[in-house]
Order: sequence, then C-alpha cells, then structure tokens
Amino acid sequence: MSEIVERAALPLAQTATSRRPIGLLLVAMPVLLVIWLVIWPAINAISRTVWRTDVNGNAGFDLSSYAFFFSDTYSLGNLAVTLWTTLVCAVLLLVISLPIALYLRFSRGRLPAYVQALAILPMFVPSIILAFAFIRVLGPNGMLDILLNALGLPKIRTPYLTPWGPVIGLVWDNTPLTVLILLSGLGGVANQAIEAARDVGANAIRVFWHIILPRISNSILVALSFSVLGIFSSFTLPYLLGPASPEMLGPFMQRTLRDVQDPIGAMTQAVVAFGFCILFGLFYVRSVARNRGNR
Amino acid sequence: MSVLNIAEVTKTFSGGTNAVDRFSLDVAGGELVCLLGPSGSGKSTLLRMVGGFEQPTGGRITIDGEDVTHLPPERRPTGMVFQSHALWTHMNVFKNVAFGLRLRRMPAKQIREKVEAVLELVGLAGYGDRMTTQLSGGQQQRVALARSLVLEPKILLLDEPFASLDQHLRERLRDEVRDIQQRLGITTLFVTHGQDEALSMADRIVVIANGRAEQIGRPDAVYRDPKTPFVAGFIGLMNLIEGEVKNGHFIRSEFTTPLPIADGPATLAIRPEALDLTASNAPTARVHRVTDYGSHGLVDLDLADGTRLKSTVANLDLFQAGQGVGLLPRAVAAYRENQQIYRS
Repeated sequence: MSEIVERAALPLAQTATSRRPIGLLLVAMPVLLVIWLVIWPAINAISRTVWRTDVNGNAGFDLSSYAFFFSDTYSLGNLAVTLWTTLVCAVLLLVISLPIALYLRFSRGRLPAYVQALAILPMFVPSIILAFAFIRVLGPNGMLDILLNALGLPKIRTPYLTPWGPVIGLVWDNTPLTVLILLSGLGGVANQAIEAARDVGANAIRVFWHIILPRISNSILVALSFSVLGIFSSFTLPYLLGPASPEMLGPFMQRTLRDVQDPIGAMTQAVVAFGFCILFGLFYVRSVARNRGNR
Repeated sequence: MSVLNIAEVTKTFSGGTNAVDRFSLDVAGGELVCLLGPSGSGKSTLLRMVGGFEQPTGGRITIDGEDVTHLPPERRPTGMVFQSHALWTHMNVFKNVAFGLRLRRMPAKQIREKVEAVLELVGLAGYGDRMTTQLSGGQQQRVALARSLVLEPKILLLDEPFASLDQHLRERLRDEVRDIQQRLGITTLFVTHGQDEALSMADRIVVIANGRAEQIGRPDAVYRDPKTPFVAGFIGLMNLIEGEVKNGHFIRSEFTTPLPIADGPATLAIRPEALDLTASNAPTARVHRVTDYGSHGLVDLDLADGTRLKSTVANLDLFQAGQGVGLLPRAVAAYRENQQIYRS
C-alpha cells in the first residue's frame, strides 16, 4: 500500500521540483527591481548621510546633516507643512470619498453608474494637466474670478501658491483610488447584515457606525495608507501649486539638489521622508494585524 | 384575534413584474403560518414587505391594528431571521444578541440577563464570548434566532432559515424552533419552499404561486384536499392526469375510471398511496421501475401513451419491470378550469 502511495506521489514531487525554478524566476524580476530601485538607493542614501568624509579626507560616522535638518527652522517648517498637507488631505479624502463610495454601494439604477464614472475621471487626468487646469480656474484672474467679476462680485482669495493649492490638487488626484478601495471594502458588507441591523432597530447612522464602519476599517486603512504615502512624497502638484516657502519635502529635495547643489542635504531629507513613510507603513501593518486578531 | 392583517397587498417591480398580486391573509396570535411556494412565487417578497424591507405598491399591512405599511423595519414590532444568518462577524455572540437591546438603551445588567436567558432558550448557554465565525451553521442560525427573540417581537419572520443547513440538522432545528415558538406563543410567519418543513411545523399553510394565494388551510387539509391542480402537484407526490370525461367516465389512453361529472376535458389527481395495482388480463399500465424506500415501495408505471404514474405499494416483490397491471384508484379529485369540481 505504502509503495503504491510513494510511486503515485513521485511524479507529483518531481513536477513540483521542476516548477520551482520557474516560480522563482517569476518572482526574481520584481524583487530585483525593488532591490535596484528602492532598497539599494535607500541603503546608499542612509550610508552616505551617516558615514561621511570630512575636509581632511577622514571618513567616519557623522550625524551632522540630520542634526542640521532637525535644528534648521526652514527644514522643520517644510516637514511641518508636508505633515499638515498629508493629514488634511487624508481627512478630506475620507470625508469626500466615503459618502461617494456609500452612495455607489447602496444605490440602484443608472445614476450611480454616471457618478462612479465622474468619481474615477481624475484618475485619467495627468497631474500636470490638473495643475494647469487648477491655475486657469482657481488662479488669479482665472475663470472663477472672471465669472465673479461678471456678476459684480469681489474676487476670491485664490488658493494658488498657498498650502491649500496642493491640498486641493492632491485630494482631486487621490479621490478615484480612495473611492475604488472603499467601494471594494463596502462590497464585502452583505445587504442582509444591514437589514438585520435595521430589523433590530438601528437607524441609518447607527447601521453605518456599528455595522458598516467596523466591516470596512481595513479598507479605510488601506485607502488612507496608499494616499498618505503618495501625498507625503508627492512632487508635481506641490511644486506647481504650492508656496515657495514653506514647501513640501518633494520640491524641497529637488531644490536642495539642483539649486543649492547639496546632495547630502537632499539625501538627508529623503531619508527623513522615507522614515516617516515607514512609520505610516508600520502603523498600517499593526492596525490590520490587530483588526484580524479581533476577528 | 388577528395579530397580522395583510389586505390586498401588491408588489410590482420596475418592468411591471407583479411579484405579489392582491394578497390577503389574517394571522392569529400565536399562530405559525408557512408561506409555501416554488422559487419566484413571491413568498419572500411578501415576508420582506411585512418586515418593512420592501414597500408594497398597493394594499395595507397592520400589526395589532396599527398600520405599518409604510413604516421602516426599525420601527416595526417584527423580528426577522434571514436565510444566510446575517450575523455581524465583527461582534461575538453576546454582542450580536445584545445589539438591539443596546440600541434601546437598556441597562447593562438587564441586557446581560435577557441575553443569557435567550441564549439558554436556543441551547447556546455559555457561547456568549465566542466569535460567530467559530460556530457551526446550526449554531449560527440559533444566534440569529436569539437575536430576534430577545427583542420580544410581536411577529417573528423566518425567511427560509434552514435552507443552508444539512438535512439532519434542518430536521432537528425545525423541531426546536417549533418548540420555542409554541412555548413563547409568538406569532410566526415562515417562508419555505420545503413542503416537509411546512407540513411538519405549520398551524396553517399558504400555498403561493405567481404572487397569489392558491390555497390557505391546515397542513392536513391542504395535503388531502388540494383545491387547484397547482397545489395538488406541489404538495406531496401526486399523479395529475389530463384526459376526457365521457358518460361519467374519465378516459386517458387505456385507463378509465368512473367520474360523475359533466362531459369535457378534466385533470384527474390521484395520490400514489390511493392508486392500487391489480393483476389483470387486460392491463392498462406497465411497470417501468420499482424503487425500494425501506418503509414502502414506489412503482413507476407507464400508460400506453407514455403517461407516467406512481403507486405506493407495501410489497415490492409482487412487481417487476415490464409487468402489465390494472389500476384501481381509491380516492380521486378532478379539476376543470383550475378549480376542483369533484372529490371522492
């Protein structure tokens, strides 16, 4: 009996062994790319910012670039505006995208299909086009000002080149992905689970708070993590729509490297940004693990 | 005294489909009424309208004299048990059952007492801390039942609650649910497409087809005296034979039997247990197959024109495939224009 089993199992084992290199090869390409484009530059940047050569040519451990970053008011101001923009965008994205996703999930008919198409439209508009459209509409003497002027109303205080400029652009840019992730999470909430809650006396707000929200908490975390990571390290929209000072870390890095020609300073800013992104990532992993543990 | 009154209720979906068509029913206090019908007959839509999950297009629903036709589910004195259990998987058993009580801002001590009592009632004492995903299908359905019962609804609505369970568990649970329902004396509306469930549990059965009540009555009455060919064919096994009546005899192929009704087309209904087989020199049917069900045997018979009939027999050894037999109906019903016109 055992001989038969062994014989039968042999070809399967051989097949599995022969398939292994193909599987490893398939995985190898993205792993190599991540190592080449992310891990190696990160290690390189960290090592170059902490292991430096002084004017006498002596190499040694040196945290002076970090000490400068965390003591320089201008750098700290840029970090603060980056964190502020990220936080405000995250809150606005949730406030805007969640109602849209809820509407799309629980509405029937043709109208939700049009709303979904509109909600996803920004995904197909490149950031640079969006930035110039923003300037033409909300910028000084833009379309809105012209319209207000035609109506005899005063001009608006334009958000262009203020911290709100990148916020508006980034929220617009990140809305489609956030809506889609939340919609996918809401797809997992069964209609009967909601009906059962209504049956025991829950009104719409309580159904949302007690039944829907706990069931989509992971999707909210995923959506916020994706958008927070993207917003924190964004460049184009803050560069084109944001103020010159304080500025977000993306444009700050670019200016430090190109205009100030301080590669170590730019790398230090990159390592600090990377550190914050890792913190966001760890928070996400911990929250997801805790949610799964609770189930 | 009627607790639930459904008067001329209609539900028309977009596209003009009448899911429920001028349906009326009175349910007395403590009664268990089964809505029985095939898929798409409108029974679940009707139940959902009583629960407030669908709005009727026409008609009126009252509970204890109060018009609830346009009230949302959260404001109706009903409790629904869903086919898919619909438990909240992020809450444990206790929280699932206690949720409705918490919404009513009941003191914590009272909530605990009520939840523990109802969990004991459904046989889940000590399961409060378990997550619902750790329970079997039967236990999950008990939690769903407890969640409804703990709120002491005036009407319990059961939407095919055992459909996702295996046969053995289904039989056990339906006995338990019936025991609980009788002990609490709670008025219950139960949707099922399983006639065994309906026949074994219900005080009354409503057979529904195409959104209308075909027949309403006690289970034995519906089984023994189906008023329409649909009910006759839907409840239990039934031989429904289309034929002609001439000179007081029903005729189909070689098979004839006395039928004292006016000449014309008719549908004859004979239960397999009311169709005796006899030895005959001029056989009217041939045995197609003999099936042993342990407690009884079932003989499939073919008339000369291929019409298939069934007869229940006590002794299978007397019959074999290909054998010619005579047919002797002991009790028949006859239908014309969808109405019963004769019953022996």
